Amino acid sequence: MILLENVSYAIESRELISGASLRIGQGEFAALAGENGAGKSTLLKLIMGLIKPTRGDILIQGASTRDRKVSALARTVGYLFQNPDRQLFGATIRQELSFGLDFLGVSKSDAESRVEETLGWLKLDPDRAPLSLSRGERQRVALASLFVRRPSLLLLDEPTTGLDYRECMQMMNTVARLNREDGVTVLMITHDMEIALDFAPRMLTLSGGRIIADGSTRELMRDEAMLKRASLIPAQMVALARRLGLAPGEADDADSLAEWVASSVKGGAQRAGHT
Amino acid sequence: MEPIILLEDVSFSYEGASGRALDGVRLSITPGEFVGVIGPAGAGKTTLAHALSGVTPHVRRGDFYGAARVAGLDTVSSSVAELSKTVGCVFQDIESQFVTTMVEDEILFALENFSVPRDEIPSRVDRALNDLDIADLRLRSISTLSGGQKQKVALAAALALAPSVLVLDEATGELDPASSVQVFELLTQLQRERGATIIVIEQKIMLLCAYAERLLVMDQGRVVIDGSVRRALEQPDRLLALGVNCPRVTTLAARLREKGLYHGAPPVSLDEAEAMVREALA
Ligand SMILES: Nc1ncnc2c1ncn2[C@@H]1O[C@H](COP(=O)(O)OP(=O)(O)OP(=O)(O)O)[C@@H](O)[C@H]1O
Ligand SMILES: Nc1ncnc2c1ncn2[C@@H]1O[C@H](COP(=O)(O)OP(=O)(O)OP(=O)(O)O)[C@@H](O)[C@H]1O
Ligand SMILES: [Mg+2]
Ligand SMILES: [Mg+2]
Repeated sequence: MILLENVSYAIESRELISGASLRIGQGEFAALAGENGAGKSTLLKLIMGLIKPTRGDILIQGASTRDRKVSALARTVGYLFQNPDRQLFGATIRQELSFGLDFLGVSKSDAESRVEETLGWLKLDPDRAPLSLSRGERQRVALASLFVRRPSLLLLDEPTTGLDYRECMQMMNTVARLNREDGVTVLMITHDMEIALDFAPRMLTLSGGRIIADGSTRELMRDEAMLKRASLIPAQMVALARRLGLAPGEADDADSLAEWVASSVKGGAQRAGHT
Repeated sequence: MEPIILLEDVSFSYEGASGRALDGVRLSITPGEFVGVIGPAGAGKTTLAHALSGVTPHVRRGDFYGAARVAGLDTVSSSVAELSKTVGCVFQDIESQFVTTMVEDEILFALENFSVPRDEIPSRVDRALNDLDIADLRLRSISTLSGGQKQKVALAAALALAPSVLVLDEATGELDPASSVQVFELLTQLQRERGATIIVIEQKIMLLCAYAERLLVMDQGRVVIDGSVRRALEQPDRLLALGVNCPRVTTLAARLREKGLYHGAPPVSLDEAEAMVREALA
């Protein structure tokens, strides 16, 4: 689905991305993390074709981003900017969602039912102006306007900033459902290691323009030295499990840690009873 | 002690909006408090921050009821400029907040505008840039910075002024985890060294747990929980109903309590959680 071969990107003489290679298959869900200024947004813009690599090549569904217009790519790729206000144009929420669906070749009745369905999920007054909403509400409208287009690839730049916990879970569950049921490929930038661990089986870490780690999120979450290089802090339960000497993956959420404590206590009591 | 912030039955509705963004808010904050504010989207957190800085009702217009006093100034009869001498703010919509185009100028501008003595200015600019670890961005144009770097510039400009009241509205939203911790350390420093009053609106509950002494939970324009962070965490279900999660360590404590393995107060840090588990295992 996404293929990067030794991609570099420079502005003037500054290299913002250096020698990035990666392959993300159809239906994968990957998190992209790293310190402020690491180059995460730049990498996402390169994949979307908004900017072109200085060296190397990027293939999306087999076609190079050099040869394809962004507008062509936008038919199948949903891209969320780091600042949602960059993509809100409509006078009302309903308009915002309907915008461009005819251009995608969606029939009028299909468009209407998609918009209604998404409005039901959004739970906001469809006649309100997007720019009069609170930041979290604007973020959700921006995401909803991607969902109505039914993209096969979602490129999300910090989709949960500005959202409260409930909205964050609602939003992430929607993304997870699209990934699971419709096979939508997801590449999501996040600083939140709890979210990365809960939702993304795979994690890429970028630091100083280079990919310094690419692998299973559970395993990388244990690599505190690598995380530290990228200004990241491991998810709380993983850090606790490591401190308690558990093997990676043995228990890395609150429920399984509680189970582990309970069975250790029981085991300990039984052993004590035998002596 | 005299409160530095006193809101008496403050209500506000935006021009043309049907409901109230603030609905009878009463709040008294004493100098030197570190207060965290959390709550669902649309709860009125930003409107509260605006009410403290005078943006509401002076810039964001609407119907304002009740009285708000900040550092002895009535926010309705005082101008935003007057208020900004004591109240520093970093708002959620960062892009609209910059007044210059270069990183260094942004911090210089803040200091020059607030009549900081000339000879102090260079060292304060240096310190602010170093504190936020952005000295290398000094001569960069703000528009070319990454999202998190922009937030750091806004924070550096606000911190350089060392205001006696500092209000941050989700100002660490785009920071990487290590930088977020760094900002909370700097806020604590400002509070301890200068006796500054800190009000942080923040969705990162773990940071509020580690740094804030008092937590306000807002919902539908009201302050519905006001107390110590630990007290708030004792009612995880109520928090969840308000769209606020507890840190995972607190969830773990709740699970252990259900199993009869823990009876103490909810932990708020990893160290406390480790102690809790070791005690249960002992
Ligand atoms: N026009 C430009 N000129 C010089 N440097 C630039 C330009 N545009 C971006 N950069 C730099 O490129 C680096 C990568 O930026 P990018 O926005 O990709 O970072 P990021 O990883 O998304 O960071 P954040 O977490 O803060 O959003 C940053 O150091 C940024 O300052
Ligand atoms: N300019 C405006 N005009 C009309 N209504 C507004 C305006 N700004 C905010 N509101 C409404 O006022 C209420 C409170 O908004 P506010 O921005 O204070 O919420 P918030 O708690 O900061 O939310 P968030 O977590 O999303 O930032 C919301 O219902 C919002 O839709
Ligand atoms: Mg970015
Ligand atoms: Mg807000």
